Amino acid sequence: MMQSIFLTGLGGQGIITLANLISARASENGLKVTLFNAKGMAQRGGRVTSEIRLSDDPQAVFGARISSGIADILIGMEIGETINSLSYLKEGGAAIALDYAFVPTTMMLKKEPYPTFEQLTELYALKTDRIFAVTDARHPYNMFLLGVFSAVAPEIAPGLSFLDRASVEQGITEKLKRGLQENLETFNGGYEHGRSLLQRV
Amino acid sequence: MKRSIIGNQAVAYGALAAGIDVAAGYPGTPSSEALIELLHFAAAAGGDPAPYVEWSVNEKVAFELATGAAWAGKRALATMKMSGANVASDSILSVAYSGTKGGLVLYIADDPGAEAGMPEQDTRLFAQWAGLPVLEPADPARAYELARYAFELSEACELPVILRSVTSVAHAKQEVEAEFTYKPLGRQADFEKNIFRYTKAGAAICMDQHRDLLQRLQAAQRSAAQAGVNRLQKGTDGGELFVVAAGALIPYVREALAAGDHGKLSTLFLESVYPLDTELAGRMFETAQRILVLEELEPFVEMQLRSEASRLGWTGTILGKLDQLFPRVGKYSQETIGRGLTLLTEGQGEHKRPAVSVGQIHGASATPQSAATPGTAAQTAADGRQAALQVKHPITFCAGCPHRGSFMAINRALKKIGLNRDNTVVTGDIGCTILGMNPPFHTCWTEVSMGSSIGLAQGFYRGGIQNPLIATIGDSTFFHAGIPPLVNAVQHGANLLVIILDNGWTSMTGFQVNPGTSDQFQAQGARRVEIEGIVRGMGVENLQVIGPFDQEQSVDKIAEALQQEGVKVIISKQECALTAARREERTLIYKIDPEKCTFCRSCLRETGCPALYVTANGGKSKHGRVMTIDPEACTGCGLCFTCCKFDAISRKHLGGARS
Repeated sequence: MMQSIFLTGLGGQGIITLANLISARASENGLKVTLFNAKGMAQRGGRVTSEIRLSDDPQAVFGARISSGIADILIGMEIGETINSLSYLKEGGAAIALDYAFVPTTMMLKKEPYPTFEQLTELYALKTDRIFAVTDARHPYNMFLLGVFSAVAPEIAPGLSFLDRASVEQGITEKLKRGLQENLETFNGGYEHGRSLLQRV
Repeated sequence: MKRSIIGNQAVAYGALAAGIDVAAGYPGTPSSEALIELLHFAAAAGGDPAPYVEWSVNEKVAFELATGAAWAGKRALATMKMSGANVASDSILSVAYSGTKGGLVLYIADDPGAEAGMPEQDTRLFAQWAGLPVLEPADPARAYELARYAFELSEACELPVILRSVTSVAHAKQEVEAEFTYKPLGRQADFEKNIFRYTKAGAAICMDQHRDLLQRLQAAQRSAAQAGVNRLQKGTDGGELFVVAAGALIPYVREALAAGDHGKLSTLFLESVYPLDTELAGRMFETAQRILVLEELEPFVEMQLRSEASRLGWTGTILGKLDQLFPRVGKYSQETIGRGLTLLTEGQGEHKRPAVSVGQIHGASATPQSAATPGTAAQTAADGRQAALQVKHPITFCAGCPHRGSFMAINRALKKIGLNRDNTVVTGDIGCTILGMNPPFHTCWTEVSMGSSIGLAQGFYRGGIQNPLIATIGDSTFFHAGIPPLVNAVQHGANLLVIILDNGWTSMTGFQVNPGTSDQFQAQGARRVEIEGIVRGMGVENLQVIGPFDQEQSVDKIAEALQQEGVKVIISKQECALTAARREERTLIYKIDPEKCTFCRSCLRETGCPALYVTANGGKSKHGRVMTIDPEACTGCGLCFTCCKFDAISRKHLGGARS
C-alpha cells in the first residue's frame, strides 16, 4: 500500500499543522512516511502546500515530492488554490474540498469574479467521482477537515486505518496543547460531517 | 536513534557528529534550517560542549569565518543559499587555491523549480569553476551521512567540500537514523605560518597553488571513490542499458524502477558528482550501449560523462539535456523520469521527439499551470477548464507590517510634490521590502541582488534620469551589502534618497537576528550595531529617522528630502509586526463602523492589508456591503485609519474602551 496525499490552501489556515498530524500518526503506526511542506509564502498570505507520501512496506524507496497525476488524495482548504492544484490529483483519486474562498485584494478591487465552489466541484468531477464537498465547516478548518478525512478514510483506501477517530484524537491531544478542547470538538464535528458525506456519496 | 527531521536539520546533525567547532551562515531559503538547528542545539547545550554558531552579516563573512577556523585545524561549516555563494565567491575561489587543513564544508542549497522565488542557479557549475568537490545527497538520511563524510573528505584532500542540496531534499522530512549528539574533537588551534599557501602574492605562488588545487581535486576523486559514495549496479541484460541519476532524483528513479518491469536496466547512482567518478563511469562504458542521464537543472553530470566517453572513444548513445530530450528549467516530475525510462528501453523511435519540453515539467507552485503534463483525454479536458478558473494569491505585506506604512508614505509623498510611482524610479532590494512592487503599492521598479538598490539608483542618476531617485532597502540587506554602495554615493556626490526600512529582523527568511536587532534578542556576547551611527559615520549629513505608522510626519520628511540635493538617508524604523505579535504586545486594534462605512474601499485600495475583508450583507451603504477588519489579524498599526474619509474607522483598546 502506497498513498500520496497533497494538501493545499493559504498561509494561516493550519495546513502545515494538519499535514504534521497526519504524517506523525502514520509514522507512529509504523508506516514509512515522507513529508514536504512548501510554506515559504505562508506568512504573507500566499499559497501553502504539503505533500505526504506513505507506504506500509518498510523497505520501500520513494521520493518525497508529488508531481502531476501522482496524488491519491487531495485535500483543498481554499477554493482558488484547490482549483490550481487539480493536476496533482490522479484520475479517479479522492478529493476533500472545503467551501472557503479568500479573495485577493486585487480581485476585490477590480470586482473580478472569483471561482465558486460549484465551479470547483464541476471541474473536479471531470477527473474523479470521489469528491467530498465540505460546505458547512467550523473553525478551525484544519481540525474540521481532519475530522472529515478521518471519517471518510476507510472509504478512500485500505491502509489508512491509522486515521481512525480514537487514534487521531490521541494525536491531537499529544501534539496540540493550546486550545485542545476546541480542536477536539471541531475534529469531532468534522468527523460527524464526514460520516454524513459518506451516506450521501 | 531515529527522528523525523528535514534535510537541513540532517546536515546540522551530520556536522555535529563530525565534531565541528564553528558554524556560520546567512539565512536564505531553502538553506536556513541547517544553521537554525545548530543555533538551537548550541542554545540547549547548557554547560555541555557545543560548537560556536552565528548568523554572520553576509555569506562572504560567514565563509571567511569558517575558513579561518578550518585553517587553524578545526572543523567548520558555512551555510547559505545558492545566491549567497555568489556573494562569497571572491573568497571561495581564492580559498580553493590555498585549500584547507581542518575539514571545511560549504553547505549550499539550490532551488530547481524556483519554489523560493530565486534563480535556478546550479551550484555544481560554480563548484567546477572553483575546483571544489561536490557531494549531492539523495534524501535527508543521506544528507546526514554525507554531511558527516564531507569533513573527512575535506581533510583527506585538503580542500573545502561543497555539500549541495536542493529544496526537495532540504525541506523533505523523513525518519533519519542518527546520533543527534555532538562529539567535539578536542583539537588545539594551530595555524601554520606559510605565505606560499595562504597569500596570493605573486605569479609563482598563484600558479603553484593552482597546480596544488588540481592535485587535491584528483585526491578528492580517489577518496570519494574509495568511500563508495557512488553505486553501480548491473541489471539482467549485462549492462547494455544504463540509468545514471544524480542526488535528489535517486529515490524517484528507484521508485520508478521498482514499480515497473525494469530488471534488465543497470544503474549508476551518483552522490559524489564532482569530480566525476571515472572508475565507475569507465565500468559503465565497458558494457553500456545506451545511457539515460537524469539530473535537474544543468547537464552537469551529462557533460562530464560525454567528455569521458569521448576520451575513452565510446560510441554509444547518451540520452540527456544536450540533445533537448530533457528540460534545464524546473524540477523533474515522476512523469519525466517515467518518460526517460521508456525512451531508454524502447529506443530510437521515440528518440527524435523531445520527451518533455520546457514549461511542461512539474514546476514551481507559484505557476501551477506548469505542473500540467500531457495526459489522457479526460485529464486534458479537466486541465483546460482549470486554466480558465485559475487564480493567484499575490503575496503582500502582513497585517501590521511597517513596510506598508513606508511604501504608502513614499506614494503619498510623490503625489504631494506632483510626481507619481510611474514617473519616479524607486529601486527595490532583496527581502520583505521588495513586496513594495506588488499591488496595491506598485512602487518598486527593480530587484537585482543584495544591496543593489543603492548602486543601481546611482546608475540611473549618472545615466541622466531626471526625476528624483529613491532606493529602498531593508535593515539586514543594508548591513549585508548596502554599506559600500552608500559610501560610494557619498564619496561621489550622487543625488538620491535612500530609505532604509528598519524592522529590526531578517524577516523574509523567518526572523533571524541581524546586527540591528535589539540587544535583548542578541546572542550572549553579541550586541546591537546602530544603523544611524553607521550612516552618520559615512558622512551623510541629511539623515532623518521616521516612524512609518506616523504617516503625516513620514510623508512630509520624504517629500522634503525628495526636493533636496545630494545624498539623503531616511531610516523608517518600526519593529516587524510578526515578531512583536509573537510576544503578544498588542494593546489596541481598529474596527470599522458598518453604519458609517460607505464601501468606498479607500482603506483596501491604499493599504492592501490582509486584515481587511468585504462583508457581504451589512451596513447602510447603497452596495449592501461594507469593509470589515479581522480583529484576530489587526495589530493596531492604524494605517487604514489614515485612509478613511468618513470617520468609519476607530480604535479599540484591547481592554474594551474606545477612543
